[in-house]
Amino acid sequence: MLKKRRLAIAVLLALASALPACTRSKRADCASPEVFCVGLVTDMGKIDDKSFNQSAWEAIQRAQKELGATTQYIETTDPKDYPKNIGTFAEEQYDVVITSGFGLTEATHAAAEQFKGVKFIGIDQFQATQKPNVVGLIFPEDHGGFLVGALAAMMTKSGKIGGVLATDAVPPVYRFGEGFRAGARHVKPDIEISVVYHNDVGFDKTFTDPEWGKTTAVSMIDKGIDIVFGGGGKTGNGALLGAATKGVYAIGVDTDQYYTVPEAQKVLLSSAVKLITEGTFDLIKMAKEGKLPAGNFEGKSGYAPYHDLDSKVPPEVKTKMEELRRGLLDGTLKTTVPPTKDAKGQP
Amino acid sequence: MVYRRYAFIAVVVSVLVLVVVLVGASQVPPLTIVASMAATTLAVATPLTLGALSGVFCERSGVVNLGIEGMMLAAAFSGWFGSIYASAVLGIPPLPSLLLGVVIAVATGALLGLLLAALAVTYSVDQILAGTVINLLAVGLTGFFNRQLFFGPASAFGGQVPHAPGVLPRLHVPLLADLPVVGPVFEQQPIAVAAVVLVGLTHLVLFRTRWGLRARAVGEHPRAAATVGIDVVRVRYVNVVIGGAIAGLGGAYFTLESVPSFEPMMTNGRGFISLAAMIFGDWTPFGSWAAALVFGAAQAFQINLQLFRDQIPPSWSFLQQSSVVGLVPYLLTLLILTGVIGKTTPPAADGQPYEPEGRR
Repeated sequence: MLKKRRLAIAVLLALASALPACTRSKRADCASPEVFCVGLVTDMGKIDDKSFNQSAWEAIQRAQKELGATTQYIETTDPKDYPKNIGTFAEEQYDVVITSGFGLTEATHAAAEQFKGVKFIGIDQFQATQKPNVVGLIFPEDHGGFLVGALAAMMTKSGKIGGVLATDAVPPVYRFGEGFRAGARHVKPDIEISVVYHNDVGFDKTFTDPEWGKTTAVSMIDKGIDIVFGGGGKTGNGALLGAATKGVYAIGVDTDQYYTVPEAQKVLLSSAVKLITEGTFDLIKMAKEGKLPAGNFEGKSGYAPYHDLDSKVPPEVKTKMEELRRGLLDGTLKTTVPPTKDAKGQP
Repeated sequence: MVYRRYAFIAVVVSVLVLVVVLVGASQVPPLTIVASMAATTLAVATPLTLGALSGVFCERSGVVNLGIEGMMLAAAFSGWFGSIYASAVLGIPPLPSLLLGVVIAVATGALLGLLLAALAVTYSVDQILAGTVINLLAVGLTGFFNRQLFFGPASAFGGQVPHAPGVLPRLHVPLLADLPVVGPVFEQQPIAVAAVVLVGLTHLVLFRTRWGLRARAVGEHPRAAATVGIDVVRVRYVNVVIGGAIAGLGGAYFTLESVPSFEPMMTNGRGFISLAAMIFGDWTPFGSWAAALVFGAAQAFQINLQLFRDQIPPSWSFLQQSSVVGLVPYLLTLLILTGVIGKTTPPAADGQPYEPEGRR
């Protein structure tokens, strides 16, 4: 009797483990050293979100073409599924698992602890502690902020520009905001700049308060500011929307927000972007060569195309922007923005 | 509400505005600053005013409404979803879609009001708990549906969040809105206007109509009210449902009037601040409105002082810290609620379930 039951359980287990194999037809043998498998776990949202997820996936597709990688992605529909989705790739012994977005930092770390043979790339995930098999792709946000700050300073008619950002206690937000300030001052030392940070509610909530972002942007515009830089999740998006309702130029952050805030397309001058595709591809290539670093890896920042407003940007401004971009890239130009607010030693 | 309170409010608001004017005068003309701060104050105060009125309606009849936050959040989501569905799937033009969204939001608020009434009046559930239930319910449901309808495998729009139909257009108050400089203050969106109108209307209903008298009687001494033939249960049900509907309108402000997008927990505690406004306003419509304006002014102060950060004199450099300025609205809440300017008294039967005679 006992034996029979044991047999039944064994058969059931065998069947169960065979099931996933049936569901995915092209199951690659990631465990073998010849096959290089790269998996992407998205943050909330689809693979074609025109933002972080899509940029990461484009890098992986490039790896498929140029490095012959076997690729697969899982779309996350609930933050509770982060560990499960990461685990799916890790258990199939993927060589590299990429998690896209700050929100997956903890889940990625936990998975790295559990699956020591798998390499993890965390996009936009700052590594406070170093793990041998995790690399965080971070970006010099101050470069992007610097560039769009310079752009705003060159494009303003009133001589007043403003930034509306989430809390400056979060280093990337601080670097965007202060980079913006530095860039504007660099091209026009006497410009009037107001940078407002949202510090009045709980830490994570400062990123999800579009109402505040809009109110703040409108208040700035009332006082003659004619270009608004909005940054920090949905709070920044609210600022872009405020600029759109008032009909003044707006500048976004992170990715090309022409696609993520369609309501602001008509006024969106550019965005301070993180070059996710490039940085992610570089890291995948290093992983393939067995040279993946641990800790933090700094990617690049830039600015997005002018889109609808391309004809409104004078050629000399475009030339200057390219000059600044190159200067920041080769290191001849420095933003002088400290990495965090505390590092500045404020009064 | 005693006049001392109004005076206090006037002083606080003037000080807030004055500080900003003094700091920013070198950059922007004072009148522009005042007008801009007034516009910000009115906009920020809109959901707070509506939330506080919701509280007034409920509590005057003796039902504590701790669920304003949840009612607003749920209404913000349902109204937003309704407007997007109407415009993107049904092909209805933007303005009717938005108005439909407002109707849905108000209905959602009313429905949650009905739930609160059922729990608090019919089932005599502890009213603090009943409100908390609504808050938790709203956070859970909006989060769940937001995921399922927009991101999940069964997404209503095939995975891509469609264009929202925008926000409610600005109303042009004739004559006043044409004034130079101060004109923008009178160019408000419909829900902001409705909030101000509702303040007056609530006052009339509560203090000038038979229904209002009955509602207040029920809130002060339900048994006495019952002995003169007032249907306590009915009065409470009606008032709580109206209160829910007003909170629903407050929710619509977030996604249909302010920004065309929804965020989980986007009400960010404003429902609770409106409760504070109601208490400071001594459970009166005008008092609550005045208190809501204080919070609005505090927010305007916070934004504007950061705007003029570089103009702040060095001896006041602590005000340059965004985190310090950000505390102001909360410090004010604390100051106001600790009863610096006297205590307020809630309706006598506030929060007490009513047991009809002989039911036991």
